[in-house]
Amino acid sequence: MTAPTVPGVPLAGRGRDAVGAADRVREAVAAGVEAALAGASGPVGKVHVSWVAALDVAACPAAFRGSGADGWGFPGWSAATGAAAVGRAALDAALDGIDERRGLGPPLAPLEVVRDWIRTAPAGDGGVAGWVAELRADGDAGTLAALAAGAGRWVAGFLRTFGWPLPADLAVAAGMRPPAWRPPGVADVTVAGGADARLGRVSGAGRFALVVHRPGGGGDDELRDRATFEAAAGALTRGIAPEAVVVSSGDTGERVRLAVDDGVLAAGSRMVVAVVEQRVVALDRGFDPADATPSPRCRWCPHRPDCPPGQARS
Amino acid sequence: MAAVSTRPPRTLADLLSDLAGAGPGSDAAWVEALRHDLDAAAASAAEVGGWDAADPLRLTKRTVAWLLRCPRRAVAGESGEPPGDDVLIGHAVDAAAKVATLVPQRPPTVDSAVAFLAATGEDAAADRLAEGSPLRAEASARVTALAAVWPAIDPAWWPRVEDPVRCRLAGGRVTVGGRLDLALGGPPTDRPAVVVEVKAGRWYDGMRADGHLYALLLALRDGVAPRAAVTVVADGTTQIEPIRPTILAHAAERLAEAMAVAADLAAGATPEARPNPGCPHCPARPDCPPGQAWRP
Repeated sequence: MTAPTVPGVPLAGRGRDAVGAADRVREAVAAGVEAALAGASGPVGKVHVSWVAALDVAACPAAFRGSGADGWGFPGWSAATGAAAVGRAALDAALDGIDERRGLGPPLAPLEVVRDWIRTAPAGDGGVAGWVAELRADGDAGTLAALAAGAGRWVAGFLRTFGWPLPADLAVAAGMRPPAWRPPGVADVTVAGGADARLGRVSGAGRFALVVHRPGGGGDDELRDRATFEAAAGALTRGIAPEAVVVSSGDTGERVRLAVDDGVLAAGSRMVVAVVEQRVVALDRGFDPADATPSPRCRWCPHRPDCPPGQARS
Repeated sequence: MAAVSTRPPRTLADLLSDLAGAGPGSDAAWVEALRHDLDAAAASAAEVGGWDAADPLRLTKRTVAWLLRCPRRAVAGESGEPPGDDVLIGHAVDAAAKVATLVPQRPPTVDSAVAFLAATGEDAAADRLAEGSPLRAEASARVTALAAVWPAIDPAWWPRVEDPVRCRLAGGRVTVGGRLDLALGGPPTDRPAVVVEVKAGRWYDGMRADGHLYALLLALRDGVAPRAAVTVVADGTTQIEPIRPTILAHAAERLAEAMAVAADLAAGATPEARPNPGCPHCPARPDCPPGQAWRP
């Protein structure tokens, strides 16, 4: 299987063609996905290409294949998986509620912002709000408290990293569901972006940056991989290539800005297609130490007992 | 600006009341000097240990403590044993403090603490602290003691439960990180940062080191030092320690020493065993004659 290449486009300077670049990313990824699926020995099933899957494959294709159907899909809402979604929704709602004619005032209080949102999240929503409403109805105080803790950390880290008042051109991702894209004619493959916010207005010139906020953890390589994936996913789902991807880390207070160019889009496209390729390979071959890639993840990997490269990593 | 009391604070509530109008502080120069020294120490350690930014030395309060206390234990890894009774009760007390912060309208209980732990993926407490279990009464007494000293915290303090903090040194070749039980204030609020650590068991002086390390990490991240480190112990003790430059300097010296020990170990040095009260629970004990010989 061959990785897609994105034909060269002028993404820098005045001649930036952000729409054309996104079109070419879509063509390249669609071709890569089609080629991958054509080599499958049977039906692959639904493939959801999220940043989690993309980073898993980038870190160790063998471990990704071995995680199986349970590991490939969304694990369901929990205090851990819902923290960022609730934090983002709560922050967006609180920012909407500010009457700027009265001045911004002191920084929003993260825990209050989150508690308010949790108290009023509407039932019947298929996303995180509906889940929170169910927790309320069930009186699951433990999960609600843990969720408030995680979402509060997310909001606090975001506000601390970007400062208060937040940049005037920053917009928090308001929707409960991330934007998604499907290659034409391939119903079972979905690519979803995971950006938490954007800086600047989305226009044909592509003078906007996608923002990913991580409360903590992760090394430099993983951070760069995440930004690379979001660049391609942003181009695929919005039809306009972003100018940059900014990754902020709440634990370090750092913001890393990855300028998006042809190379970044090509690398991000390869990450997207690699997920589909590995799902195809997994039809015939699950975990196999032959292509295991040792990394710090080996410490927690369930395949470590059967993986000499992982064991060799101290 | 609110009047600042001259009476030393004795409780967390006292401290927060005293500091509410104290402002965020401004000590960027000496914090930057600490960072400079630690960067140099980390660079030296990385030279010896062979770490780089892609695969750095990762330190936590636990590894720092063991590197200094017993290098043999530091390299022994994690114990596969289920947590002991003291550790389990400690988890419950720690969780109770977090629940009290997150849900201030109700006093925490063992059940609410266990539910919080279960929601964060720690299931071990559920069975062993269930109604009628032998540990239940002791856990309940300690949670009640904690609830008695735990204040309702003004949201303007930005209470953050299990707040992650990480510092990259020597260009990322060494990282030091952890999660504060509770962090309060600090940028971008208009209040000084306060570090709160919750401990089970009985107070002993060594408990202070964790708060000092976290105060150092917050200072390095935010460029301004926390005003106090508070250790709340389930035996009723509340230790409030103003953060002075000498305390952070000492914490930085300990961290530099831990990095040097880790570097020597990575370069092949034999880890020295230093018998201590942790020996009975140490996973290295079966192969450690000094640890086996340790007696209280």
